[in-house]
Amino acid sequence: MAITVRCLVLACGNTLRGDDGVGPRLAAWAEERFRQDPDVRVISRQQWTPDLAEEIAAADSVLFVDASASSPPGRVSLTPVSSRVDSAAPASHHLKPSELLGLTRSLYGSIKSHAMLLTVGVGSTELGETFSAPVEAALPRARGILEKAVLRFLGR
Amino acid sequence: MSQTITIDPVTRLEGHGKITIQLNGRGEVENAHFHVTQVRGFERFSEGRPFYEMPSLMARICGICPVSHLIASAKACEAIMSVRIPHTAAQLRRLLNLAQMVQSHALSFFYLASPDLLLGMESDPKLRNILGVAAAKPELGRAGVALRRIGQSIIELLGDKRVHPGWVVPGGVTEPLSQEKRDKILAMLPEAYSSVGMALGAYKQIAGTFQPEIEVFANFPSNYMSLISEEEAIEFTDGALRLIDANGNIIEDGITASRYTEVIGEAVENYSYTKFAYYKPLGYPDGSYRVGPLARLNIVKRMGTPRAEKELAEFKQLVAGPVSSSFHYHHARLVEMLYGIEKIEEILADSRILDKHVRATAGVNRLEGAGQAEAPRGVLHHHYKVDENGKITWANLVIATGQNNNAMNRGVLQAARSYIKDGKFSEGILNRVEAVVRTFDPCLSCSTHAAGQMPLEISLLSADGEVMDRVARD
Repeated sequence: MAITVRCLVLACGNTLRGDDGVGPRLAAWAEERFRQDPDVRVISRQQWTPDLAEEIAAADSVLFVDASASSPPGRVSLTPVSSRVDSAAPASHHLKPSELLGLTRSLYGSIKSHAMLLTVGVGSTELGETFSAPVEAALPRARGILEKAVLRFLGR
Repeated sequence: MSQTITIDPVTRLEGHGKITIQLNGRGEVENAHFHVTQVRGFERFSEGRPFYEMPSLMARICGICPVSHLIASAKACEAIMSVRIPHTAAQLRRLLNLAQMVQSHALSFFYLASPDLLLGMESDPKLRNILGVAAAKPELGRAGVALRRIGQSIIELLGDKRVHPGWVVPGGVTEPLSQEKRDKILAMLPEAYSSVGMALGAYKQIAGTFQPEIEVFANFPSNYMSLISEEEAIEFTDGALRLIDANGNIIEDGITASRYTEVIGEAVENYSYTKFAYYKPLGYPDGSYRVGPLARLNIVKRMGTPRAEKELAEFKQLVAGPVSSSFHYHHARLVEMLYGIEKIEEILADSRILDKHVRATAGVNRLEGAGQAEAPRGVLHHHYKVDENGKITWANLVIATGQNNNAMNRGVLQAARSYIKDGKFSEGILNRVEAVVRTFDPCLSCSTHAAGQMPLEISLLSADGEVMDRVARD
């Protein structure tokens, strides 16, 4: 069974596709920042698959971290996520945060205390392991928002 | 005037695909094709690479069945090295392949097929997905998630990564199994047994309601091919190939990897990037055959584990002789999942699995080598040629989905002819045509060695080729 924690940081992205790797980069930072904290668990995947519902069910709160193709390059956003299913035909291999929350509720009857999505707008997702200048510049702000969100979820 | 229906993309598959259905002037189905519409070319860009890199390169073909590519590739490399790997290494690879079989079959059954099976072929397409299944049958959804987690966790424990583990190398595996990891795997198995038992029970309860689909879902006589052990039991990792005909008679037996080019040819059709494998002595298309869970259960005489043995006996009672409807792939997949869990337990119960000798070493001793292993979807061949320095000069891969390609196309045509009358069709009918392809659980990225998402399209074409209707899904 999944490990029970108070806060799950769930990142998504492909580190070989430029700015799309910002989620995994922030996850690596969060892993280090909260290494000694048993209340926090960090998972980073290329895709958010249905299996993750079990991990989400085992957490009180979840912070999704992803790149955003619809935001201006480098814009950092933190938005609440509801469990509303907003696509007609959810994919079997990758789900949106709202779909994952819906799946978690259906399968495990689990409703999160907090569920937020942290995104960073992408400039380029061409092949490569480096970020565009706007995303690179946005990293300190994104890390700060991630840290504050996690601490708020933990009531600290 | 004739019409063509296009289903593009075909959904709930591993890959991009498209179906076109050609109607004649009377609104009857004239022809139908399943197209695989992507190309990638792993065979070409591996040229010039050192042979020992091949397993990790080839595993990148697929995120669902990388383990089978790792194993077939490593075996081809071992043929080049002329080495026999240690017994424990062979058993550890078998363990890894079984874990992959469990997680991949769970994905196919619970995530891709169960929306049709549990909610109905005609159910609301907005709900006919994994979220709909979770809402209607949460206990089965949880079982699917658990089986995926268990399969992937075993892969991660053995290979350090749940997708694309690099643990399998030419000569064996990089690290032995620790007692701690063995105990962790054993602790997962009770949940795996109960999850697969629940799935088998649920499937058997509803299978009878799909008799109309069973009749026309690629239900025709064909040949079947799979690996089989010397004891005529199911075998995913070693053994040799057996080919049987539609009546269960052995056409050819003991086909080792080094002989596959004598036996298997690959034809090309202009509507698909996936090739069409066939048995050379019978020619193309007469020598076409099916692979994967249905073929394996049709070919083997026994499973070799007690619970799966009982399930095999029940499966073989479905019809006299080989089971010909591809609808029964779903059933076969569940039996294989049960077998996988039992076999994992059996392998871990042998203390030799903790042996530290897990890798043989050698250089280039032959300039050509081939390897074969069963992937979840069927047998997989890797064949390489190298120069004196061990650089790849030529590579060929024969993938399970290519071996099922002719049967999938015939199945699509059979279902289309059965369901589409007077040029009329509904979403539920098109879903059934797609569902024929889903029974095979094709991996289109494997079949073309291609990357990316895999949507599907169905087109309805007129007699003069004009697109009359089109259903597209992302």
